[in-house]
Amino acid sequence: MRKHAKRRPSLQAAMLASAAAVALIVAAPSRADEVTPERLLNAEKEPGNWLHHHKNFSATRFSTLSDINKGNVKNLKVAWTMHLGGVEGGGIWTHGGLEGTPIVENGMMYVTDGWGSVYKIDAHGGKGVLLWKMDPKTDHDWAGAVACCGVDNRGVALWGNLVVSHTLDGRLIATNKDTGQVAWQRQVADPNKGEVITGAPLIVKDMAITGVAGAEYGIRGWIAATDLKTEKEVWRTHTIPGKGEPGSETWKDDKNASASGGGSTWVTGSYDPATNTLIWGVGNPGPDWDNEYRPGDNLYTDSSLALDADTGKIKWHYQHTPNDPYDYDSVAENVLVDVPGPNGTTAKLALEADRNGFAYAIDRTTGKFVWGLPFVKKVTWTKGLDAETGKPIEYDSNKPVQVYNASVTPSRQNKVTDICPGNMGGKNWPPTAYNPQLKLWYIPVIESCNRITVEEATPDKLKAREFWTGGGPSQPVKITGSITAIDVTTGKVAGKHETPFPNLGGILATPDLVFSGEPSGEVTAIDAKSMEKLWEFNTGGGVNAPPMTFSVDGKQYIAILVGLGGAWDKWFIDATPELKRIQPGSMLYVFAL
Amino acid sequence: MSRNSKSPRRAILALAVIAIAVMTAGASAQSPDPTDAGKAVFKRANCFGCHKWHGNGGGGYGGDALSLRKTELTREQIVETVSCGRPGTGMPFFTRGAYDTVKCHDMNRQDAGNQMPPEANTFLRQADIEAVADYVLAHIKGKGEPNHTECIDFFGNKSRVCDIYKAGGEATNAGQSK
Repeated sequence: MRKHAKRRPSLQAAMLASAAAVALIVAAPSRADEVTPERLLNAEKEPGNWLHHHKNFSATRFSTLSDINKGNVKNLKVAWTMHLGGVEGGGIWTHGGLEGTPIVENGMMYVTDGWGSVYKIDAHGGKGVLLWKMDPKTDHDWAGAVACCGVDNRGVALWGNLVVSHTLDGRLIATNKDTGQVAWQRQVADPNKGEVITGAPLIVKDMAITGVAGAEYGIRGWIAATDLKTEKEVWRTHTIPGKGEPGSETWKDDKNASASGGGSTWVTGSYDPATNTLIWGVGNPGPDWDNEYRPGDNLYTDSSLALDADTGKIKWHYQHTPNDPYDYDSVAENVLVDVPGPNGTTAKLALEADRNGFAYAIDRTTGKFVWGLPFVKKVTWTKGLDAETGKPIEYDSNKPVQVYNASVTPSRQNKVTDICPGNMGGKNWPPTAYNPQLKLWYIPVIESCNRITVEEATPDKLKAREFWTGGGPSQPVKITGSITAIDVTTGKVAGKHETPFPNLGGILATPDLVFSGEPSGEVTAIDAKSMEKLWEFNTGGGVNAPPMTFSVDGKQYIAILVGLGGAWDKWFIDATPELKRIQPGSMLYVFAL
Repeated sequence: MSRNSKSPRRAILALAVIAIAVMTAGASAQSPDPTDAGKAVFKRANCFGCHKWHGNGGGGYGGDALSLRKTELTREQIVETVSCGRPGTGMPFFTRGAYDTVKCHDMNRQDAGNQMPPEANTFLRQADIEAVADYVLAHIKGKGEPNHTECIDFFGNKSRVCDIYKAGGEATNAGQSK
């Protein structure tokens, strides 16, 4: 239909033709700008562009651009800024926030605000010009009432001549890149079941891969693939097995807990083209803190999941916190890296920094544990990981309900208890970055403890669109942060840059620098090796999104969205009282030398 | 037949139509609810951010907002709770100067110490606080499970937020598990 409409000459088109001549000159290169699967596979061959949410399929968030480097980063200044919208509230939220990663292709930038409006900005000529805004008219009350952790949208993806994005109210939207008109959309998640979408889509071949949020509302999580040509679903794999499927034996209750067992997938995953494998993180089981309600390991919650990209069939899984009583989900991105292994081999790893405070390297071919270590300063829930299996030392596969370090573990017997890391995790959604030259992996860390109060879950408390958590957290302890570097060749901590506030934004790595931001407003650059701070600029807002870099007209820029929202603002702010001063905002900052 | 739309006959007809429309609108809205002002306060002051639109509150990520459906507080006690917050909990105070120029629970800021409740994002005048208390008494306190009519009364019909309360409508989580 759309193709037909394009070919058909219309009176309107003719009338507009002369007036649009200038616009056509601008639009003309867009045909060459078709984003093909080949370009997405070879994103690294376009160093000035940032084509994927995590920069590349391996999710390294590493850019080779080095015009901005440790010798001159002190001269970095604001090049331009742009105010965005989407700051209004809805549902249980008083305001939206910005958690997105800008996508840049050939000097055109695409960003989203918290309610999923997409903005196309022309970044040529040292300034930003807004070309169009696509407002999906998200149903604020419907979605905002079941968004556990904020009015958030983490960005777009590109395919063909379309900008592909999600909305909090569960839609996948394809927008014409040139006009900003919605080409088509489909409902992928159902807020009536407590499902919402906050993550950016991942484009693999001609499919958009979607993850879902809602493990605090009794969902049964999934990952879904939509064919962008037919606009239809190709596959949907539930992260919690159905009755009789492998893994269903890890739900040993008699209350059908698996049907509302959580396992959300709200952070964009990664893809290994060599084996056609998606690697995607899976969230916590529900109810979060009453693990006696759901005896068993509760697969595939708190796991990294490898799936065949064409069929969604599960190839392997690695579970980090079986029968989780802490809300330590494993929804984080897996970073795919190759490092020299023993006897001249190459270790093909998937790296994940888990909410439970441990960083894991898994053999991404087999799903076997390689190494793991704590990346936070304080872990109390376990004494450590088993060197062979990577499971918490106290894990006992014969026990239906795990207690780990029983003295601190939330349970029906231990109803009020402090855990470290806190339930927001040692690292939450903000993405890590990996420098393949230095073989250093940088983790945005929340150095935290918090208090959990358990409330026994019973089937009658399970209601559509109502919290299903079996308790809740409070924040009696001050929380700080760090950027922690891990040497991937040794699996040891190589450095820690401590910060007064938790890192809620994530990391960008360049050859000799690491960029990040603080919820207190500063955007910072630190030395990739010494971890010393070399530059900072205070945006006057709260940074809750990752920086990225691109080049246009031969000049390198750093871009970051600024607008504190998300979970911290509402649920965890008491742990950082100074951040109560930070005002809601919605702004794009772009820096250059 | 005149084609002039300004003809007296047309004007009269139009007026009649408008009159009927106005009367119909008035009838369908029934008599104005005296607690509408309180409902507006319930929204503006973000009461529903924690207690939810239906007032049942509940646990979850943000601690536990008490159920206003199951509350046994009197009008006077609701007014005091909104004015002064609840010491030692997340329920904020909504009166400007509470615990400073206005004593609350017979305490000032110093007496309250670390039990000091948070300050609300919006301050309310006495009349607003009474209005919201009247709204809670009329529409929330003592009510059973939330239903579709109540939901539409709160949100209007521009959102899909109430769809799950439709009889025989969308699957609930419990239904999903069958």
